[in-house]
Amino acid sequence: MPLLEARNIVKIYPNGTRANNDISFSVEKGEIHAIVGENGAGKSTLMKMLYGLETPTSGEIFLRDQPVHIDTPHKAIDLGIGMVHQNFMLVDSFTVAENIALGREPRTGAVVDRAKAIQDTKNLAETYGLYVDPTAKIEAIPVGMRQRVEILKALYRGAEILILDEPTAVLTPKETNDLFAAIRSLVNQGKTLIFITHKLREVMEISDRVTVMRDAQKVGTVNTRETSIPELARMMVGREVFMVVDKPPVQRGKSVLKVSNLSYANEAGRTLVHRASFSVYESEILGIAGVEGNGQTELIEVLTGLRNPTEGEAYVDGQSMLGQGPRKVREQRVTHIPEDRLTNGVARDGSIADNLIIDRYYREPFAKSGLLNLSEIEQNGHDMIKQFGILATGPAQPVGGLSGGNMQKVIVAREFSSSPRLLIAAQPTRGVDIGAIEFIHQQLVNKRTEGLAILLVSADLQEVMKLADRLMVMYNGEIVAILNNGPDLTEEKLGLYMLGAARQTPEEMGVLA
Amino acid sequence: MKSPSRSWGWLAIAIVAAALVTGFITYRMFNGSVDEMTAQADYQNVILVNVLVGISVALFIFQLKWGALRVALTVVAALILGYIVTAFFNLDTAAQFTRGKYEVALISEAAPTTADGTTLSYGGVEKGEFNKQGVRSPVTDVQYTFAGKSGDVVTLLAYAANNRSLVDLQLALTDASGATLATATAATAEQIGQFKDLRTEQDAALQDFTLPADGLYTLDVRPEVVSFSTTIGETVKATNAAYDAFLLGALGRVNRWAVWIQDALTLILVGLAIAIAFRANQFSLGAEGQLYLGALASGMIALAWGNMSPWIVIPVAILASVTAGFLWGLIPGILKAYLNANELVSTLMLNTIAIRFYDLVLTFQLKPPEAGYISSEKFTNNAIFPSIVAETQVTVAVFIVIAAVIAVWLLITRTPLGYEIRMVGANQRFAAYGGVNTRRTIMLSMAISGILAGLVGAHLSMGIYRQLLINISIGLAFEGVVVALLARNDPLVIPFTGFLYAYLRAGAQFMERDANVSFEVVRIIQAVIILLITAEALIAYFQQRRVQRKGLQSTAEHSKQAAEGGAHG
Repeated sequence: MPLLEARNIVKIYPNGTRANNDISFSVEKGEIHAIVGENGAGKSTLMKMLYGLETPTSGEIFLRDQPVHIDTPHKAIDLGIGMVHQNFMLVDSFTVAENIALGREPRTGAVVDRAKAIQDTKNLAETYGLYVDPTAKIEAIPVGMRQRVEILKALYRGAEILILDEPTAVLTPKETNDLFAAIRSLVNQGKTLIFITHKLREVMEISDRVTVMRDAQKVGTVNTRETSIPELARMMVGREVFMVVDKPPVQRGKSVLKVSNLSYANEAGRTLVHRASFSVYESEILGIAGVEGNGQTELIEVLTGLRNPTEGEAYVDGQSMLGQGPRKVREQRVTHIPEDRLTNGVARDGSIADNLIIDRYYREPFAKSGLLNLSEIEQNGHDMIKQFGILATGPAQPVGGLSGGNMQKVIVAREFSSSPRLLIAAQPTRGVDIGAIEFIHQQLVNKRTEGLAILLVSADLQEVMKLADRLMVMYNGEIVAILNNGPDLTEEKLGLYMLGAARQTPEEMGVLA
Repeated sequence: MKSPSRSWGWLAIAIVAAALVTGFITYRMFNGSVDEMTAQADYQNVILVNVLVGISVALFIFQLKWGALRVALTVVAALILGYIVTAFFNLDTAAQFTRGKYEVALISEAAPTTADGTTLSYGGVEKGEFNKQGVRSPVTDVQYTFAGKSGDVVTLLAYAANNRSLVDLQLALTDASGATLATATAATAEQIGQFKDLRTEQDAALQDFTLPADGLYTLDVRPEVVSFSTTIGETVKATNAAYDAFLLGALGRVNRWAVWIQDALTLILVGLAIAIAFRANQFSLGAEGQLYLGALASGMIALAWGNMSPWIVIPVAILASVTAGFLWGLIPGILKAYLNANELVSTLMLNTIAIRFYDLVLTFQLKPPEAGYISSEKFTNNAIFPSIVAETQVTVAVFIVIAAVIAVWLLITRTPLGYEIRMVGANQRFAAYGGVNTRRTIMLSMAISGILAGLVGAHLSMGIYRQLLINISIGLAFEGVVVALLARNDPLVIPFTGFLYAYLRAGAQFMERDANVSFEVVRIIQAVIILLITAEALIAYFQQRRVQRKGLQSTAEHSKQAAEGGAHG
C-alpha cells in the first residue's frame, strides 16, 4: 500500500499552459523518492499540488488509500505533509526556536512559553540529528542551519512526509553531506521524503526510487539501484547526453587580466572584497569557487565596471580598466555574461536584434553619421540567430518570449561575437536546461582553446571543476586558495577552503611573483 | 518576421480608413456641398488638415494592426456606456410635462354670483406654478371654488402660461357634494383656434358646460401623469440630441471644427512630451510646469518684440519656450540621475513652482495696470502664429506638430540616443551593464520631453490665446498621459489618439452648449469614457506580458524538439 499516491493529475493554468499532463506516481512509506526533470518539466507544480499551493485541474490524490482534497498548505500540514521551499520562509529577526514554534507556540495562559519552545526545539533536533542553536537569530546563522530549521519546522507541525525542493542548490559539499546524513536519519525514524532536484549525482547517492519528468509528463519511475546517471539524463532530456566536455590540453599564453590588491566595500561600509590579487592568462579558464555570497558577485561587478573599487587596480593587457564605467571596460575587449540574466543580461521587452547590440550600437556599422543603421542591426540579428542556433521567430521577436536557454544564447551570442580578449562568465548555465548547458560548456572551452582568457564563476562546483584550468576559492571576500585543476583536486579539498577551514599563503597562491 | 503580404493588407485597410475618415469629416463640415466648401475661406487648408487627420488614422491602424481594432472597439464600448450614463441623467426629461407656470380661466356670459369662500369668478384668471424646482413643498395640484347658478354656461380653460412652460394639464369640475361633473385632459385644434390662450393640445379645455344647480363648484387642476412610454421616449429623444451634439457637434461649423483641431494640436504635443519620458520609464508629469514656463518665455518675447518682423519674433519666441522647457525638464532629470529622487514627486513639485512663478510674473509685471482681469496685453499680429484657416486658431502650429511627430519618431527609432532611451526604459540595469550612460540618458529623456512641453507653451500663448492668461492650462499634462498611454507611447500613433481625445473633449463642450446637458454630467460621461480607454491601455499592457510568458513556454518546447533533432545530426 503506497503512503501517498497521485492518480492522473492534470494541471492546466488559466492561461492555457499544461504544466502537468496525466501524472501518476506513488510514494512508499519510509522511502526517499527523488523527482528529477529539467526546468519547466512540471516538478514544482506537482509538488505544489501535494502541498496545497495549487489545486489539480483533474485527477486525485490518495493518502493511505483515502482520497484527500488538499486545497491549502494548512490542510497539507494537518495531513502530515510538510514542504521545505528552495527560498526559505523564515523570519530573519526571530530566533530559531521562535521560527520553529511560529503559529503553534506553546502557551501558558495567553503568554508564549519561550522556555518550552526552546526545549521542544532541542528535543526535536536531538531526535532527528539536526543540529541547530535554538536561541540564535536566523539572520546570524549559515544557510545550512537555516535549512535544518525549515525541516524542523515541518517536523514540529507533525510532518510524516517531507517535500524538499532543490535542497542542495544553496549548500556547500560538506553541508550537502550533513543534509544527506540527516535525511537518512529521518527515514530511519519512519519519515518519508520527496526530494526534488536536477543534480543526478545526488539522486544516485541518496534516493531509493526516482521519478523522471519531462515536458509536463512523467517519463517513468525507476529504482535507483537499477539505473545510472546516463540513463537518467537520457530520460530527462529525451536523447543521449554527452556529459563530458571535449577539452584539449593547451599551453596558456601571456597574462591578460592582472588584478592587484582589489578591495570593495558597499555603501554601508562593509568590506565584501578584500585585497584580491590574481591573473588570468590567454587560453585559460580560471574558475572561482566558493559558497555564494562570499564576494564573487561583487568582485565581478567591480571588474566589469558596474561598481567602483575602494582600493586596488586591475589591468587588461597592461591597461587600467577600473572606475570608468562598463563601456570603458567593454572597449578594452572585456565581455561579461552576467549572473542574473533577467536583471542584467537582457531587456525582455526589447527585440532580439536590439538586445544583441547593447555594447556596440553606437559604433559602425550599426550607427552611421548619427543615425542607427536598421538594416545592419536586423542582419546582425539574423546572423546571430543562425550562428548560435537561437530558436526564435526572427530578430524582431522580444527576448522575453524566448525560453531561458535561448535567452542565455542571445547573451552568449552577443558576448562571444565582440572578439573579446577576456570573458567574465558568471553562472553561465544557471537555470538552463541540459541541452543548452552542453552547448554553453562546449562554447566556453572552444573559446579558451582559441586563446581567450576566461574568468568563470559558478555556484555549481562540478561545473567549475569540469571546465576550469585553475581554481580560485573565495571565502568571506578574500581569495584563500588558487589551485591547479587536476585529478588530485577533490571536492572535499575545495570544500575545506570554501568553508574557511583552510587557506593558502600568498606564496602558495603564487600571486606575489 | 511578418510576411510582407500581410503588411500590404494592413496598409490597404489603413489607406481606405484614412480616405473614409477624411471624406466623412469634410462632407459633414460642408453638408456635402462643393459650393459651400469653396465659399469657406482657406478651404484648401481645411481639407489639408482633414487629410492629416486621415493620415493619423492610417498610421494608427498600420502601427497597431489588430491592436487598433481593440482600441476602436473600446472607444465604441465607452461611447455606449457614456450613452447609458447620459440617458440616466436624462431620465427626468419627461418631468418637464409636470412642471411649469399655468393659468386657469373661467369664462361665462352669465351674471356672476357671489358667495363666501370662492377663489374664482366668471371672467377671472388665476395663475401659479406646478412642481417648481428647488421648492421644499412644490404645488402638485390646485383647487379653485366658484359660485354659479343653475343653467349658467361656463367654459373652463387650464393652459401653460408661456412658451417655456411645457406642463401638460388636466382639469375636473366637482359640485359641492364632491361628485365629479366633468373632466378635460386636452384641447382640440378647434378650441385652440377659438381661445387665444390655448397653445397646444396639452392644455385642457371644458367648453360650454351647463351648471346643473345653484351652488358652489370646485375646479381641480393638476398636471397629467406622465406615462412610462412617454418617459422613455423623451429620455431617448433628449439623449439622442445630446449625443448628436457630442459626436457630430465638432463637425458642424468651421469655428467648431477649429476648436477641435487646435486642442488636438496641443494634446499631440503634450502626448509626445509625455511619451518620450515614458519610453525611458520615467514617470514624469513635468510637462505641466514646463509648458507654463514655455508660454511665459515665448509670451515675454512676443510682448517685448511685438513690432519686429514675424520672421524674427516667432522663431526667437519658440526658441525661448523650447529652452525654458529643456532647462525645466533637465532639473528633475539631474535629480533622478544623481540623487535618485523620484521623478513623479519632483516634477509635481517643480510644476507648482513653475505655475506660481508664471502667476507672479503675469500679475505683477505683465498685467497692464488698468486691466480688470489677470492677463497680459494681446500680442501684436507680428507675434502670433499666422492662422492657416481664416478666423480660427488653426495656425502654422499644424506644421510644427508634423515636424515634432517626425522628429520624435526619428529620435526614438533611428538614433543611438533613442536606442539608449528605449533600452533604459526596458531595463535600466541591462543598459548600464551594456555600457550605456544611463544618467545621461535619463537626463536627456526628461529634458527632451521638456522641449516638447515648452513648445506646447508657445502654441498656447502665441497660437491659441494670443496673450498670457492665468490658468493657461489646467492639467494638460494629465490629458497628455492618456493620449500617450492610449498610443502605447508610439510617436506615430499619438497624432491619432490626440485627435480622438480632442474630438471627445470638443464634443463634450458642444453637448453642454447645444443639448443643455449640465457641465457636471458632461464631466462624468467624459470620465467614464477615459476610464474605459485607460483600462484598455492597461489591459493591453498585461496581455502583452501574458503573451510573452506563453511564448516562453511554447518556445521552450520547440527548443527541446529541435535539440532532440539536432543530437542525431
